Amino acid sequence: MVQTDNLKFQYKKAEPLFHFPNITLEEQENLLILGKSGIGKTTLLHLLAGLLKPVSGSVMIDDVQINRLSHSQLDTFRGQNMGLVFQKNHAVRSLTVLDNLKARLFFSKKPIDLAAIASLLEQLDLKETQKKKVNELSEGQLQRLGIAMAVIHNPQVILADEPTSSLDDENCSAVMQLLQQQAEKNQANLVVITHDIRMKSGFKNIITL
Amino acid sequence: MNNWKISLKNLLHKPLYAFLSVFSLSISIGLLLGIQQLDTSIQNQFENALGSIEMVVGAKGSPLQLVLSSVLHIDKPTGNIAYSEVAKIKKNPLIKEAVPISYGDNYKGYRIVGSTQGFAKMYGAELLEGRAVENSMEAAIGNDVAQQLGLKLGDTFLSSHGLTENSIEEHSEAFTVVGIYKPAYKVIDRLIITELASIWDVHDHGDHDEEAHDEHGEHDADEEHQEEGEHKEHDNHSEHDLHDKDDKEITSILVSFRNPMGLMTMPRTINTNTDMQAALPKYELERLFRFTGVGVKAISWIAYIILLISCITIFIGLYKMVRERAFDLALMRTYGASNFQLFRIIGFEGILMVLASLFFGFLFSLIGLHFMVDLFKSQFQQDIILTFSADQMLQTLLIVVVISVVSIVLAILPLLKMNISKILSDEK
Repeated sequence: MVQTDNLKFQYKKAEPLFHFPNITLEEQENLLILGKSGIGKTTLLHLLAGLLKPVSGSVMIDDVQINRLSHSQLDTFRGQNMGLVFQKNHAVRSLTVLDNLKARLFFSKKPIDLAAIASLLEQLDLKETQKKKVNELSEGQLQRLGIAMAVIHNPQVILADEPTSSLDDENCSAVMQLLQQQAEKNQANLVVITHDIRMKSGFKNIITL
Repeated sequence: MNNWKISLKNLLHKPLYAFLSVFSLSISIGLLLGIQQLDTSIQNQFENALGSIEMVVGAKGSPLQLVLSSVLHIDKPTGNIAYSEVAKIKKNPLIKEAVPISYGDNYKGYRIVGSTQGFAKMYGAELLEGRAVENSMEAAIGNDVAQQLGLKLGDTFLSSHGLTENSIEEHSEAFTVVGIYKPAYKVIDRLIITELASIWDVHDHGDHDEEAHDEHGEHDADEEHQEEGEHKEHDNHSEHDLHDKDDKEITSILVSFRNPMGLMTMPRTINTNTDMQAALPKYELERLFRFTGVGVKAISWIAYIILLISCITIFIGLYKMVRERAFDLALMRTYGASNFQLFRIIGFEGILMVLASLFFGFLFSLIGLHFMVDLFKSQFQQDIILTFSADQMLQTLLIVVVISVVSIVLAILPLLKMNISKILSDEK
């Protein structure tokens, strides 16, 4: 469950104040946030992820008002309940695919379940790559690894920042499907922000900033 | 998976950087430890080698040379003095012991020292087997000599003239081994000890062409004719020599005092009132170490500079890593890692490098010391016993650890101000 109320944010005093529309997502509801660059999409995503603190308003995730948590509480909460997918950087470069997934579970203080990792790698067609370093993967494999990293710990919310903008049409729809599949499997909310209108077709809830 | 493992994998991700940092840091640690331990060992060794010798009296010349030659047995003697001087010096009530020594020959590079029974006492050497020298042409040998040359009780050998091995100027009378000393870890281990009379005997035959032995010249010539056949005659001859010891010469006198007053007054008295010189081994060695100390200091400074450079390398490496891998670190934060945890992971990378450097540095110093000990053994016939000074070692290690930890902390401090949101949105 994701809920925002009267969310406002300002980077510096002199800079413009962002005022975001309220978001209310029931369990397993997905949301696409569309908008041009510079409109504050990433800012909104970072507010949802607790990476930024709002000037005013609140962010509720599963009955926890995350903008009231301390730094370390936020680190833990984010690690355990959220999965973030990015446009280009998907995993830690010095680690192999398998080690990345292990580290992901280690950082979120969850047990390292090798069977679960193996099955996720299988689902995302990454089994062959598990011993490879991140920079040895293809673009499509990387994006799938990004998804794996976001869902391996069974999060409540999956937040994706422009996950498809650097992909071709084929990969774009594949990534979209995988994200939705994984969200459904984890019974998690999926929030995607993008300027990529190709994604519009897959979502019922769409907010345009 | 744990923090250390992630650190190690981060480090192995940049093997060249890790290798260079560890290499330069361990070289500096190795140099620092090595030079210190070598310096302490050599100083201990030399000071230990003095035994109870507090003063050496010998022919005029360089006091350092007198000490090096008569006490440490690594240089040529300054000249000879009359044997009658021993009795004069012994008369002085401040003197506890005065031991005459005479040398000039060697066997396979090991010096033959003619002296009295007091010589072994000066070094606190005890017999392992056999007995002390009692007659001319008997020899009691140091432990190193016995082991290196495989000499046993009852073995005989021919000495050769000079202080280095040469077979051309071999003397014709054979020494018999009558005693072997226990290892004393002093210079005596590498000496062959005999009676003063043996040295005189041997030289009365061999040296007639080098030195003018006016009195004995004729006698020697006679002797030469009979040498091969008439051994009894020869024995008589050495008896005869023993009787007129007073005309004989020795190389120097090793002296120990009854009380420190002797140390204060005797050297001056001897230096001004006689044509001999008195040298204080302790003082001369301190002077010597002041010279070698400059070299030790120079090497230490070089080592410290390398230490500084390697710490800067570690600093730059980690700092660059924090910058270049900002996105990786930000990702870890989104995975649930706290700021402190990232601090630890990168800190561990530095610590792993420092630990590896300490290990290899220690190894380098051991290898280096081993090499130096071998060098000393082959070049100067000096057995250096490594006396590791734990205090000094800990002090050095502490300096290394403090400097490297400071550079690690400085490198990862920017982490505290890391703005994850900014880093993550800058990817596009």
